[in-house]
Amino acid sequence: MDFELPAEHRMIRDTVREFCEEEIEPIAQEIENDHRFPAEIFGQLADLDVMGVPISEEYGGLGGDQLMYALVTEELGRVSGGIGLSYAAHVSLGTKPLELFGTEAQKERWLRPLATGEEIGAWALTEPGSGSDASDMDTTAEKDGDEYVLDGTKQFITNASEAGSVLVKAVTDPDAGYDGISTFIVDPRNDDGFEVTTVWDKMGLNCSPTCEIALNGVRIPEDRLLGEEGEGWTQTMKTLDGGRISIAALSTGLAQGAYDAAAAYAKEREQFGRPISKFDAIRDKLVDMYRKTERARLLTHKAAVRYDGGQSVTKESALAKLDASEAARKVAEDAVQVLGGYGYTEDFAPQRFYRDAKLMEIGEGTSEIQHLVIGRQLGF
Amino acid sequence: MMKVLVTVKEVAEVEEDFEIEGTGIADRYLEYDLNEWDDYAVEEAVQIAETGDDIEVVSVTIGPERCEETIRMALAKGVDRAIRVWDDALAETDLLDVAAKTRILRAVVEAEEPDLVFTGVQAGDDSFGATGVSLADAVGFEWAAVVNDLDVDAVLDESVARVHRELEGGVDEVTEVDLPAVLTIQTGINEPRYASLRGIRQAQRKEIAEKHLADLGLDAEAVETDVRLTEMYEPESESDATIFEGSAEETAAQLAQVLREKGVGAE
Repeated sequence: MDFELPAEHRMIRDTVREFCEEEIEPIAQEIENDHRFPAEIFGQLADLDVMGVPISEEYGGLGGDQLMYALVTEELGRVSGGIGLSYAAHVSLGTKPLELFGTEAQKERWLRPLATGEEIGAWALTEPGSGSDASDMDTTAEKDGDEYVLDGTKQFITNASEAGSVLVKAVTDPDAGYDGISTFIVDPRNDDGFEVTTVWDKMGLNCSPTCEIALNGVRIPEDRLLGEEGEGWTQTMKTLDGGRISIAALSTGLAQGAYDAAAAYAKEREQFGRPISKFDAIRDKLVDMYRKTERARLLTHKAAVRYDGGQSVTKESALAKLDASEAARKVAEDAVQVLGGYGYTEDFAPQRFYRDAKLMEIGEGTSEIQHLVIGRQLGF
Repeated sequence: MMKVLVTVKEVAEVEEDFEIEGTGIADRYLEYDLNEWDDYAVEEAVQIAETGDDIEVVSVTIGPERCEETIRMALAKGVDRAIRVWDDALAETDLLDVAAKTRILRAVVEAEEPDLVFTGVQAGDDSFGATGVSLADAVGFEWAAVVNDLDVDAVLDESVARVHRELEGGVDEVTEVDLPAVLTIQTGINEPRYASLRGIRQAQRKEIAEKHLADLGLDAEAVETDVRLTEMYEPESESDATIFEGSAEETAAQLAQVLREKGVGAE
């Protein structure tokens, strides 16, 4: 068992880290305050081949593995949770399903621009009345000749306002339950009836747009169906197995960023005549933060390596996501505490990590749902 | 066909808090990275290769196997192949002085026959700042030191290096140097790129040829030196700052008094 990263992975991690520290960190708070999606940063990430890390080179991706993708996502999270979230949603949810389930023609038309980073991807599963119980879906797709007509509302859709394509889940057979759900490729710019009705103001992650979208009689040709009718749910489960690894990696990055901020501050800040890191109360907190971060990373890498080995990762990715998201929130909270009054101000990063971390326990399956998934895998 | 040789070096960067052990800094306080000046030299060479046709960029380093990852980053940024010179005689040398580096690099230049050699102005660790010019002298190339601007088109079209050199006191010298030439590259001449991830992946398959001294027609004598590192210490640093407090008028008066006491300005 080898815990050392391969040289190629290390070089990629270090390069992305350098880019993040130079180009993203200085604007991370500003884009949060302005609620601005930094398109220019995503343009630069596209130029560096970051936007399609785990996508085949044949379709314009980098051809890297899930471990490489996790490392890149962690580095983004270490400086900006919002950029990391938009990135992870673009890759895991908006792009990867096209590679896994698309036809050759669909890959050329829809996957390639996402893999090269020319376009941003999104997917739409959640609805106003359907969250953890995603099968209770109201959005419908009715066949009309050689077209489908989509109607419904989707909620909390990351990137929808910026996206070149959105993978929309809709019911094609209302009597078939889980087997009645299908996936459709929707073009937000050119398909009539698609509308972003809300971009939410949130507790954190405000540089990453979270949207409500309305589908009012969106008429699309039948070649926009991804896979077969009725495969939407099994596709979703497969997609989330990989997606949860990226949220775990993003969470690890948030924890690392918060830990770094707290450790640096505690070494500098002096009270009672010595650095506060020399007091048990703070040192123990820092060690605990380090422990949680390292644990989150190990679980994330384990899930990623299993994924790359073609093994089942349902349990491992759920466990990594559950643990890392909790670690991110707790480590970020402790970082705020270590910085005291300064930690509560926007001049210092910990409050931002704290706000961003909370979503990780909610998105791509709440922690409660991760318990459910893991429990089932353990036979309970 | 044109060839640009870039000398590069992995240097140790010291953490903020460190301890000196003997004549060196304890290993646990060191992080290794590409010498800052060399990053600009690599970028300049790659830009020439991207502007012209059929131009090969080769980098050469003197260093142990550890530095291959650093050298590979130059390959990721567009260098075509690399040469790494190392053997037991080099490993046993405490200090590689300018003359020794010149002997080794001269052998590489004679084998590779480049049209242009780029070196960094200096290396961040031992800061001799002399290797480039010494090498030019040894191989009989023209040279220009501390180059902060290069006309790439003139290199390609006229085989001449039209350069700006940064001199003391903000003076800018414009010089023309015929190829083959050695240019020592100053920071700021360009904006070094980030390696693309595809570049990093491709760099894993590029060649880093390991050469021993014997492969270059040299022996252990080539790295002998009369220069010895005798001591390393941290100089005492002293800071003496006076902060004036009060209104602008009060602080101006206090400053004037200090200046008068120090004998600055006319009575």
